[in-house]
Amino acid sequence: MADVSKLAPGQKVLMQGNEAIARGALEAGVSLAAAYPGNPSSEILQTLADSARSAGIYVEWSTNEKVALESAAAASYAGLRGMASMKQNGVNVAQDFICNLTISGTKGGLVLVTCDDPSGVSSTNEQDARFIARVACLPLLEPATPAECLKLTKLAFELSEQIGNLVVLRGLARLSHTRAGVTPGPLPEAKPRPHWDPNERWFTIPVVPRHQVMLDKLAQAGELIAAAGVNYYDGPVRPELLVIASGSSRLYADEARRLVGAGGRVGILHMGATWPLDQELILEHLARADKILFAEEVDPHIESGVKSIYAQHVRELGLKDFYGQETGHKPPIGELSPSRVAAAMADILGLPWQETDPAYLAKAKAAQALVAPRQVGFCPGCPHRASYWSMKQVLSADGREGIVSGDIGCYTMGVLPTGYERVNAVHCMGSGPGIASGLGKLRSQGFEQPVISVVGDSTFFHAALPALVNARWNNSDYVLVVLDNSATAMTGFQPHPGTGSTAMGQAGTAVDVEQICAGLGLPYTVLDPYDLEATQEALYDALQIGGGLRVLIFRRTCALVQNKRGGHPWRMSVDPQLCRGEDCGCDRFCTRVFRCPGLVFDQATGKTVLDEVVCVGCGVCAQICPAGAIKARPKEATA
Amino acid sequence: MKALKYDPLDIVVTGVGGQGNVLASQVLGLALLTAGYEVTVGETYGLSQRGGSVTSQVRVSSGPVLGPMMPDHRATAIVSLEPLEALRLLGVYGHPGVVVLTNDRPLRPLGVLAGEQLYPEPAELRATLESLCAKLYWLPATAAALELGNHILANVVLLGALCGLDLLPIGAAEVEAALGDMFPESKMALNREALAKGLALVRAA
Amino acid sequence: MVPPAASPAPQPTGLERLLAEVINPGLCVACGACLGLCPHLIFLDGQVAAPDACGLTSGRCYGFCPVAQRDVSRESQGPIGPVLGAWQGRATSKDLQGRVQYGGVVSELLALALDQSMVREAVVTAAGLRGTPQGIRVTERTGVLGAAGSVYAGGGALSSLNQALSEDSNHPLAVVGLPCQVQAVQAMKAHPQQPQAARRIHLVIGLFCTMNLPWRGLRKLLARHGVQAPLSRADFPPPPAGIFQAWSNGSYHELPLDQVRALSYPGCAGCPDLTSDGADLSVGACEGKPGWNTILARTHAGAGLLELAAGKGLLELEPAQPASMEHLTQAASDKRKRATAWSEERRHG
Repeated sequence: MADVSKLAPGQKVLMQGNEAIARGALEAGVSLAAAYPGNPSSEILQTLADSARSAGIYVEWSTNEKVALESAAAASYAGLRGMASMKQNGVNVAQDFICNLTISGTKGGLVLVTCDDPSGVSSTNEQDARFIARVACLPLLEPATPAECLKLTKLAFELSEQIGNLVVLRGLARLSHTRAGVTPGPLPEAKPRPHWDPNERWFTIPVVPRHQVMLDKLAQAGELIAAAGVNYYDGPVRPELLVIASGSSRLYADEARRLVGAGGRVGILHMGATWPLDQELILEHLARADKILFAEEVDPHIESGVKSIYAQHVRELGLKDFYGQETGHKPPIGELSPSRVAAAMADILGLPWQETDPAYLAKAKAAQALVAPRQVGFCPGCPHRASYWSMKQVLSADGREGIVSGDIGCYTMGVLPTGYERVNAVHCMGSGPGIASGLGKLRSQGFEQPVISVVGDSTFFHAALPALVNARWNNSDYVLVVLDNSATAMTGFQPHPGTGSTAMGQAGTAVDVEQICAGLGLPYTVLDPYDLEATQEALYDALQIGGGLRVLIFRRTCALVQNKRGGHPWRMSVDPQLCRGEDCGCDRFCTRVFRCPGLVFDQATGKTVLDEVVCVGCGVCAQICPAGAIKARPKEATA
Repeated sequence: MKALKYDPLDIVVTGVGGQGNVLASQVLGLALLTAGYEVTVGETYGLSQRGGSVTSQVRVSSGPVLGPMMPDHRATAIVSLEPLEALRLLGVYGHPGVVVLTNDRPLRPLGVLAGEQLYPEPAELRATLESLCAKLYWLPATAAALELGNHILANVVLLGALCGLDLLPIGAAEVEAALGDMFPESKMALNREALAKGLALVRAA
Repeated sequence: MVPPAASPAPQPTGLERLLAEVINPGLCVACGACLGLCPHLIFLDGQVAAPDACGLTSGRCYGFCPVAQRDVSRESQGPIGPVLGAWQGRATSKDLQGRVQYGGVVSELLALALDQSMVREAVVTAAGLRGTPQGIRVTERTGVLGAAGSVYAGGGALSSLNQALSEDSNHPLAVVGLPCQVQAVQAMKAHPQQPQAARRIHLVIGLFCTMNLPWRGLRKLLARHGVQAPLSRADFPPPPAGIFQAWSNGSYHELPLDQVRALSYPGCAGCPDLTSDGADLSVGACEGKPGWNTILARTHAGAGLLELAAGKGLLELEPAQPASMEHLTQAASDKRKRATAWSEERRHG
């Protein structure tokens, strides 16, 4: 990411949505920004971290999203502006704090950015985090373009400070990673000195009157939003079809009406703020159209709100036709697209719509038979491949139908073929050891299967600790495997407590996994997952012991990080004389079963060949080749 | 500002994680923005470094700001760093009038490496691509990049090739300037050579 | 329209079937015949497992498996198989007495075969990691003596035989095994994809088998009785003793035999063979004569080796007692009947 504090005001630049949010926060005078990495939100904090020194602000990667928001709230109470950014899952982690914070209120502007991931391109779900605005009665802003990301971020801080409550800014994966023209504004000259007036106290009691205060703030926010002009109408005075849309869907609707040739018949009510809904504006436009289509991702957030408003005013408005999730004109799952909105519009308006020549479509579709899917998997040299290999071998040899409780990180791909599909359950950060803890207590009910919980090093700190304490306390019987690759690899190699470095590149204090285990009284062993034999022996023994929580730390630096640090020690080769390829009793053991992309099955010769561009030289495959055909020689010796 | 031959001008840039198509789309977007057009570059990534397909959409217009996703089967051109990816995306964005520029070097999916799926023969792949577009440019971009000493330059070679077609309202000079904004001068000599190689490839085609 | 009758697809004879018929139903007796052939079958802590599907429809793993290939109705030359000569004997070496099972005959014969270069390498069972029995390959007398003594637990020893056979070498081999392992070696010798087996396996010494135990279960039972693995030796005296004797780290322990016997491999119930019918020589306990072995010479090679050992004064031999042979035959016949009944029950029940 770049230092966005150096951009010249007034000069249009190509900027990513996430970078524009970061710039907006700087222009709003943010003093403390905190986050836990998670695609598609990670670039916001990374950009701020890279700008922190020149902007004179404090930026941190926190252990989890709840802590991030609490840190940002501290800035607010000290009279400064704070921001926490996260992906949709993070909102759930922070939710308990949010639902109390909204009652106690805030002082300096406090903004929560959630970047949702419709279609779950880089997530375990496609949750619509806008629910938090309803649950916690918070104003919710939804930009559609990078330029709006900047503008609405600034507005969010203003709004927060005016009403004394948290404001939510909601991005989307497409928007977060979209680049478009953005014209930065000026940065603030000076920021106040932090100070918490000891007479100011922030808590939620007495609950009922404080609840009323919270509602009053939301009502006040509604007035401010209406005045800010972030919701606006674009189209004929009395449209045949009114589209009410937010986020990227606003742009899809705009394009869709051109695509179906209905520009003059369709009006769009652009909702830059979707909570509280601007009732006056909505009523005004409902009165002028009889058909209403909703375009939003993913849940029917606006749809249900507008219908609720309509129900209160049905006598004056008369009968209307609503098109959206309930009628199938907006899919209840997955991303929206201009084509989907166009198809809905064409259907409602009775217009012809085809994507292209049907004969072409049929031919293009038939040709897809040639296109093999491109499945994601562990990188060449990834320590997780070796780790899952050992788990697969040992659990099979153990023979008691062992269960692997998974967690969130690159190693979630243990559910896929490159992880030998060896993971039985994956949910959210830290849920793996929690589920394992429960399984390990079913021994008294006759549950005899061994249990392994896998957590990455970053996940270990994020949410695994309470589950581990629980397991230790209650004497749950399982094996915790910490897949320590010394990086938050999935999201872009951010530092975490175990690495000791911080978001701003300064030295923090490394928090040691072993010390935590020792402090909890847990027996632990550190292993190198590249050493398959030692790893498998230790894992097998750990599974046989039983009776409590045991920890194995599989420690090996992420292959991508290692590549940047001088690479791996081995130069690999396949001896074609020894390789038995297809004819071997093993039927292409390395390419079919082990599945490292550095090993390629050559259809022509029926043998394995090594792709020297892809292979990084981790040496693990040499240990699994039954014919001894894969050789590892030290790189130095051959260089 | 030159009028757009296609408005909107929708260019899909695709490839496999790590091939540099996100960078290529950024360079293209920056060059077009600098030239005064409305530009939206939509990207999807997340697991890009782990062998997945990665697609960017460079959307250019003289008028309204466009969304990050283009309508299906409406692309002006598909620029692909990997030939199978070009075919994959024709299934989403193709139409009889689309122009396809693709690198000819295959990158086999994991399932093919594992011997479970087949990668089409180059001749079959090429013929299929040809049958699904108005014009196919089947270019040895990786080979050209390797002549310059680094396979990663294939993305810049393809950008050069794109500049040689009558699609963009800008030329290689503007693309070179955008590269210059993103790379130190020390790397520009190679980038210039790569652009020139791409131009030459498409002129010879 | 009725489709033309297709010829039935040949039944697969590979790993998948081995898993379905033997491993998954828990009938594997850990002989090791399927191990060391390919990377898909692994052996850890006394148990065979297959972590991945191998994708092949036929394989030596299935072809060698004595449980899969077992045919209790096959013609046999009497309950104790072919016998050229029946003896009782013991090793004369003081070294062997006390360390070995009964009379030390197996160790002495094997050591002699190596000494005489009749074979150059022998596969035997010895204690490995965690005390788990496993196959080892020995090339001289000291190695044989190091492995002497049985603990009555399966050790997958034929894995080592497969390894030896897979190497680019031609030297003759010997193997010592239980009846299941001797059956597997016969299957190997007859298998078209294992021509080197018939060529290289020159000596098979079979053991009498009345009980074979899964090592994991035995180790846990031992632990419950306060006995730490590895065992140096184990034994169970004839009825009515009712005890299992275990020697570990120089100390001696007794366990109730019924608890030990309950651990037996379920797959052993279908085994019809008490005396390793297919071996060159079969050796077991000598009834009524502690410290002595009963020896059945079944082939000329076996008889020749025995004769040589006696001639060199390494073994003390006498003709087997008729009463003892009568009891052995009865016991073998009973085992065969039990196996037949068990197999019938499985087939119909």
